[in-house]
Amino acid sequence: MPPIPKSHIWYFTRSYPSLFLKPPHCEILDSPFLSISEMATVPGQLIWEIVKKNNSFLVKEFGNGTASVKFSKEPNNLYNLHSYKHSGLANKKTVTIQPGKDQSVLLATTKTKKQNKPSTLLNKSLMKKEFNRMAKAVVNQVADNHYRPDLKKAALARLSVVNRSLKVSKSGAKKKNRQRL
Amino acid sequence: MSAAAARPLVTVQSLESDMATDANSVPLPDVMRAAIRPDIVTFVHGQISKNARQPYAVSKRAGHQTSAESWGTGRAVSRIPRVAGGGTHRAGQGAFGNMCRGGRMFAPTKIWRRWHRQVNVTQKRHAVVSAIAASAVPSLVLARGHKIEEVPELPLVVSDAAEAVEKTSAALKVLKQIGAHPDAIKAKDSQAIRAGKGKARNRRYVSRKGPLVVYGNEGAKLVKAFRNIPGVEIAHVSRLNLLKLAPGGHLGRFVIWTKSAFEKLDAIYGTFDKVSEKKNGYVLPRAKMINADIARIINSDEVQSVVKPIKKEVKRAPLKKNPLKNLQVMLKLNPYAKAAKRMALLAEAQRVKAKQDKLDKKRKPISKEEALAINSASKSWYKTMISDSDYTEFENFTKWLGASQ
Repeated sequence: MPPIPKSHIWYFTRSYPSLFLKPPHCEILDSPFLSISEMATVPGQLIWEIVKKNNSFLVKEFGNGTASVKFSKEPNNLYNLHSYKHSGLANKKTVTIQPGKDQSVLLATTKTKKQNKPSTLLNKSLMKKEFNRMAKAVVNQVADNHYRPDLKKAALARLSVVNRSLKVSKSGAKKKNRQRL
Repeated sequence: MSAAAARPLVTVQSLESDMATDANSVPLPDVMRAAIRPDIVTFVHGQISKNARQPYAVSKRAGHQTSAESWGTGRAVSRIPRVAGGGTHRAGQGAFGNMCRGGRMFAPTKIWRRWHRQVNVTQKRHAVVSAIAASAVPSLVLARGHKIEEVPELPLVVSDAAEAVEKTSAALKVLKQIGAHPDAIKAKDSQAIRAGKGKARNRRYVSRKGPLVVYGNEGAKLVKAFRNIPGVEIAHVSRLNLLKLAPGGHLGRFVIWTKSAFEKLDAIYGTFDKVSEKKNGYVLPRAKMINADIARIINSDEVQSVVKPIKKEVKRAPLKKNPLKNLQVMLKLNPYAKAAKRMALLAEAQRVKAKQDKLDKKRKPISKEEALAINSASKSWYKTMISDSDYTEFENFTKWLGASQ
């Protein structure tokens, strides 16, 4: 069955006849949904509701109120935009592309089973190939294995920007000769 | 329900001083799965933080320690009360008003302002429970700004060997081993002089908050060891403070639990089934939704099997065409219109033709025989008209009846 896109989400709660006989334990009554390894985490929508108004990574620029643009500085955000889809905090599966050491690009995805173990949360891989091979690797990891196909364009865009910044840092920023007439 | 078996396990981080046989795990206490309610936490935090205030007020006699009287009208000065007497600058100056120099302020602050706020006990407990639950969610702790990238697991539980740590240097080593050091470094590096007047009002320095270490046994040595590390705070499990668990009203403080503290949480706050042992009759608060993962519910088999398929094509209304102008549309509405129109056209053609014929006939010059025939016919008709007329009997009409009868 096709997953319903976010714009069609509606809200409903389940009611169990046994709700008032025995106080529920989340995972017991909802065992068709949740496995024990995922039980400890709180759903992404809830986290987003808590985090969207205020968090330490939020940056508001260019105006006040609705006139401003909201950016987000967390590492797992591909566009650095403050929105649910791109958020590195509210999603279980995130992709990040950063410059690594020695002119290489670090591609990392989060593991869904290790949500509450921050030190081992990321599948990291340092890439030091030419751009086309890196792009292929990114597409494989993000879209082709159905990890987060909605982030494919964002990942490629970020990859190209990071790559370019590495080239710039290698050759140095352009030195303007201001003395020239 | 095998509740205990279904609860996820949290591994206890072992320190150097532990025996190798440790590194066991503890089941997650139900507090950590309570409802996270930032609205309650913000409210309660706001109220509770008012409780440590000290009253301030201006002196109650300020501005009134004069015997000033108004000079009234007629002296070319404003009617403000003025200081009586002479021989000094102060004489004749305005007094008493908030606009006057040396006068009393508007609405002088009083010490009997309501400084403290009362909060319902259940609400306070709900807030603490929410804050504890939020401290177990890595996203929320990250969002609050703690550096937990190197922490092996959240909630972070440390073996009880940490409670026996005596020296601060050893405490720092402990933090490094469990991956909490970056957070402490962040707090230390952020120490700066406060911006604003507070720096001159005995609030000179500000810094970020580091980890909160929670211990279980009274009189543990770790209090003295950890308290001097900048940013690090300590608390005993049975005396958890919302102002420390959610500083600024923001959920998600980075908390380091010792094993005995972690195990006591179930007894202190109870579980969803069991009443708390330490808080009389208290049960953990229920969430409005047991399973808040809406995306998962929507994509579940139970829902998808009953749901109608998505309508991919959008039905748009077609443009309305005027049947009076557009024949095809008219025919759709009234098929007889074609026949009627055809007949009308034919009839019209006939009429046109008939008229044209008539006109042609009239406009064509007539031949001699026809003209002669017409002439003679008209003459004879005239004669018969006279002879047949009713007026022949009367003599008056002979003149215009004309010729002989």
